Amino acid sequence: MSYSNASIADLVQPTKLHRNLYVDPQVFDLEMQRIWGNAWIYIGHDSQVPQPGDYITLNYGSMPVVMVRDRQGAVHVLHNRCGHKGAKLVDKPCGKVSAFRCCYHGWTYKLDGTLAGVPHMAGYEGTGFDKSDPQYSMQKLASSSHRGFVFATLNANPPTLRDWMGGAGDVLDNLCDRSPEGEVEAAGGVLRYEHECNWKLFLENLNDTMHPMVVHQSVVDAAIDYIKTLPEDSPRRDEAEIIPPFGASYEAFEATGITGFRYGHHYDGGKTSIHANYSVDPDYERVMLDAYGPERTREILTFNTHNTLFYPSLTIKSAVQNIRVVRPIAVDRTVIETWSFRLKGAPESMLRRTLLYSRLINSNGSMVGPDDLTAYFRVQQGLQSSASQWVEMHRNYGADQDLGDRLVNTGTSDLDMRTQYAAWKQYMTEAA
Amino acid sequence: MTQVVASDAAIREIEQLLYQEASYLDAADLDGWIDLYTQDGTYWMPVIPDQESPLDHISLFYDDRVLMEVRRRNIKHPRAASKDYPVRCSHIISNIRFADEADEADKADKADEADEDDASCTVHSNFHCLMYYNGKQTMYGGRYTHELVRQDGRWMIRHKRVDLINCDAALNTIIIYI
Repeated sequence: MSYSNASIADLVQPTKLHRNLYVDPQVFDLEMQRIWGNAWIYIGHDSQVPQPGDYITLNYGSMPVVMVRDRQGAVHVLHNRCGHKGAKLVDKPCGKVSAFRCCYHGWTYKLDGTLAGVPHMAGYEGTGFDKSDPQYSMQKLASSSHRGFVFATLNANPPTLRDWMGGAGDVLDNLCDRSPEGEVEAAGGVLRYEHECNWKLFLENLNDTMHPMVVHQSVVDAAIDYIKTLPEDSPRRDEAEIIPPFGASYEAFEATGITGFRYGHHYDGGKTSIHANYSVDPDYERVMLDAYGPERTREILTFNTHNTLFYPSLTIKSAVQNIRVVRPIAVDRTVIETWSFRLKGAPESMLRRTLLYSRLINSNGSMVGPDDLTAYFRVQQGLQSSASQWVEMHRNYGADQDLGDRLVNTGTSDLDMRTQYAAWKQYMTEAA
Repeated sequence: MTQVVASDAAIREIEQLLYQEASYLDAADLDGWIDLYTQDGTYWMPVIPDQESPLDHISLFYDDRVLMEVRRRNIKHPRAASKDYPVRCSHIISNIRFADEADEADKADKADEADEDDASCTVHSNFHCLMYYNGKQTMYGGRYTHELVRQDGRWMIRHKRVDLINCDAALNTIIIYI
């Protein structure tokens, strides 16, 4: 079938979602055009391209793009495609160039994408080909950054990045404010984890606080069983602070609250979260107090969110200083990237804890992420069934509290689902 | 300069240890596996080629005894959804050689002869691991580095490094040590 705007809108009902959202390749193709083609999509952090000529490559939706810093220091997001026959111009994950040069016929481009050189121009004389015509340059995506986090969009008329982030931007600010210098940089590499599921199943899990005590019971039990065998004076381990909160009670998660914003962003936590009771490294506390004073330091360190989603491509953990980036491949295939960040001016122990967290929770080899993925995989499989066309999302329906720029509800509500799918419906029907 | 060649007996003993470890992993038996490691033993699977640090860079695995102990409990937990599927592996290990041939072989040889505790050596090998998990068969391959130490008259594993040849690809779940 092909979808009209009305039939697309019908897939999202106030308390239920149609299974085609997850299993129909046509819906996926439309999402790539209408959501991923119009929202601000996270590209990378500008610390990944510190010097002129430094670049990273990635896919924006299914399209190859390159983020590069030019000689004036400006960061551009360019389509990674030669203006001649369309070959990808660079094909390494990252690198440094003085100019882009096509491997096929040697066309060259400046770092801002402008076509610079075409070999043996004589053959073009009188043909109507004009080297200075911008259509032959590397095409630019609109891009914008907030505190080093670079986003791009194909939308010709996007809202400003700051307006688009809304109140969720407070969490990105909090991530950076946790550095005594107010700046972060990408550090310690990336994990890429193939997920055999629709991209939205990953997003839906971020603030789903009804799953941890079920899905992660096995690792929490294993950790607690082992901790019990240790002598009381055993040295403190970060693992013992990181793993057990995944088994927190329904009541504890209820208390964290969920906050939803326009454009589909949301977070759980704020006053408290599963990261709230981590020990604070005294060396870190000292540099923070020196930089901000006691009141502001307390304010920064007690703003404890768990996962914050910038719909649809970026989710951050400000209290842990890692992010996960969503790269959809197909209706039932997604790659999730985990990147870690260094708080500039903070002791290296902070980055080490971030990397420990990323490895312990988000790695392909961890005892946490694979159980989440198994749940998504089973949803992906189960929804092949025609027993029902719908999945359910009633929790605390009708009780979202409207605070003007945001909606709030209890931490175990489906407010995050309602927030995401309101944005889904809007992108999918208005952007047509 | 005298060229030192490890005795067949020393090499055989070390090979047997690597095969024993592989056989525990083939059967997903982490209770047997953990006993091959020293109390300060570590298991590391880097995520980039030539990775220098397990602590200053992300890794696929970096477990010390504490995490090994948690993992062997986790793998048997009845409510670990990712462990619902049987894990069957076949490890093939070959090209076993000492890290610095003359030096390391000499150490192994001497340790074998003297049965000397705390003697150590480093052994490289190549591996292929065929893993069947959740309806899918996956081929992993790469290089092992085993740092071995002599304790109570036998070789124990103090550190194992697993360099997958596709470590930096977008991999799926790796459900058990390789």
